[in-house]
Amino acid sequence: MPTSPVKTRIPLTSFGHLVTEVKRQLFGIEPPVSVEYTGWRKYFNSYTPQGRRNYVLATYGILVATAAVFMIHRRNRQEKVTSSSTI
Amino acid sequence: MMTSFFDQFMSPSLLGIPLMALAFVLPWLLFPSPAPRWLTNRLLTLQGWFINRFTSQLLLPVNVGGHKWALILASLMLFLISLNMLGLLPYTFTPTTQLSLNMGLAVPLWLGTVLIGLRNQPTAALGHLLPEGTPVPLIPVLIIIETISLFIRPLALGVRLTANLTAGHLLMQLIATAAFVLLPLMPAVAITTSVILLLLTILEVAVAMIQAYVFVLLLSLYLQENV
Repeated sequence: MPTSPVKTRIPLTSFGHLVTEVKRQLFGIEPPVSVEYTGWRKYFNSYTPQGRRNYVLATYGILVATAAVFMIHRRNRQEKVTSSSTI
Repeated sequence: MMTSFFDQFMSPSLLGIPLMALAFVLPWLLFPSPAPRWLTNRLLTLQGWFINRFTSQLLLPVNVGGHKWALILASLMLFLISLNMLGLLPYTFTPTTQLSLNMGLAVPLWLGTVLIGLRNQPTAALGHLLPEGTPVPLIPVLIIIETISLFIRPLALGVRLTANLTAGHLLMQLIATAAFVLLPLMPAVAITTSVILLLLTILEVAVAMIQAYVFVLLLSLYLQENV
């Protein structure tokens, strides 16, 4: 039975396509092609897959770094408290 | 021993021997195995038609790389639909009311789709965590929200199936008990309650089939965005 090559299902797990369509039809904002990006925008933007990936990795990296700094700071403070109580 | 409404959800055991394995195997015994004939009987033809039709419809939007999942998704669908439907019979145990079973199905399959996405197309898999066209100030918040929604998926899959079936079975037992108790007291009300019970049973048959389909459909959607 011949099947249609058109994918008719809208991916329910991401609203990015809907956001892009709304911006295009209501406000006339077109997603810029990657050729127009210069500077840091070339690597960090919310339109190209690479840009989105870099944003995600940067966010995760900042969260992990913040958690690591917080845990090291807490451990140092506990060591200071235990060392001052033994004196 | 006082029986409660929740006894139907207890894992079956006989003299201390758990019968859960028997509850899983029973649906398999009810499906006819393929015969070495070119033209099979009506039941086998119907089964083959249903499996082919279902699998082709389910995998229509999935790329070719995801077609390897055809067997497991079709098997899962048959497994769930048979367990759900058999559980509607009186005095039977429904394994899909156990959260442990549903989570045991949902978590590995969901994790499989995520790992396949990260292994084969990491850029696209990570890019899914940020919707296209998001304004810059909202990006960190949205990434965190999308990450949370990603990890909630297996939980939602398992709990959805468990809650729907548990609630349906409990409701049927409550209304049946009410109809039975009211019969000598208020026969007219008992008849009305019985009519409601009949409608609820029809609804539960639909819910049993739909919930099995939704479970498998959502897994195919998760696979679709990672393949």
